Amino acid sequence: MDERGVGYIADMLVFALLISFASLLLTGASPIDPKIESTRYAASFAQSTLLALQHSTADEFGGFEYQLSAFGFELNVPVIGESTKRDLRYKTLAQLLVEDALLNLHVEAGGIELEMLRPNQSMESRLRGFLKEVLDKLIGGRFGYRLTVKTLPMELDFSRVYFETEIKNFDDMAQQKLCSETIISTLPISQEELARLIQGVLGISTSELEPDIAVEITLELWSP
Amino acid sequence: MDQLSVGEDLFATLTIVGLLCLFIAALMHSYHLYAERKNAYESFDHALDIAEDIKNRVLTASPGSIDLTMGKLEDYSKSLAREGIELRVEVRTLGDEVLLAYGPEQNPLEGYFSPPCSVSLPVAVARDQGSAQLCELIVWVGR
Repeated sequence: MDERGVGYIADMLVFALLISFASLLLTGASPIDPKIESTRYAASFAQSTLLALQHSTADEFGGFEYQLSAFGFELNVPVIGESTKRDLRYKTLAQLLVEDALLNLHVEAGGIELEMLRPNQSMESRLRGFLKEVLDKLIGGRFGYRLTVKTLPMELDFSRVYFETEIKNFDDMAQQKLCSETIISTLPISQEELARLIQGVLGISTSELEPDIAVEITLELWSP
Repeated sequence: MDQLSVGEDLFATLTIVGLLCLFIAALMHSYHLYAERKNAYESFDHALDIAEDIKNRVLTASPGSIDLTMGKLEDYSKSLAREGIELRVEVRTLGDEVLLAYGPEQNPLEGYFSPPCSVSLPVAVARDQGSAQLCELIVWVGR
């Protein structure tokens, strides 16, 4: 092979190298960031889910009921019969969450949560289980999720009144948060009634209450 | 080249040209994959736009719930058909019962420029007395 022949071959090899480099770049390149696309879908899915929760009643999922309790024990006594049972099948899922927040407000004094007499205590755990089933049916498999319901804490003289609960189905170590959507509702009670309720439980005056106590319902979706 | 030594030069040239053809084929394949992926993202984006439009505007009964009226969907589908977009819409209950099915079924192997893309979103379907049923809106879009 003469010297010019070797030169041509070297040129060709460099050209082939450039082409393979271009192929590699194209194989690795993504025209649109897939994260942006899945985030957009997740946000739309979360908004639709929250809106759907505001319209669908518990009846559609077999109904929701619970028994009133005292000191952590359900009042399931034959003499009292059905009178301690609350059947809330006609309420929407969002209404149930807001009612749970109202009936199960937590009271904290000096950083310690006070145990109060809460006859509707069993609603909280039952509702969590009920909504988990609904959300698993609706979202499960497509995304991981966390639904949080909370009120802004009401700071009173020596105490703090708040509500917070969460329902989740995801592995926060392995999955990545895609979006977080929130709807805000208000407690279905007047300011005076709420003041009376808190005063009854705590025995303190509550003149500095916000006019409307907002309940935030937040749905986070995580990568599957 | 002053003289061609048939043994070595020709063999080396043929090898390099063959190699080059192989690389060019690989490049074309990579570009094809890239274009396919781009197309898939665009189709999905477009299908999501259409699904949101149907949920929030075309079939909306009140904010957050939809009404199963075929008339509005027909008009909307016609307007998309003018742009060369074929639409199929299904509303299914969570128990997989079909409440509404509109448009021809789309088969990915039939003559579309890009394979049909589908998007599903949860919706509340308005029923009588202000109640609503939780369902799934599934939209297929093909070009």
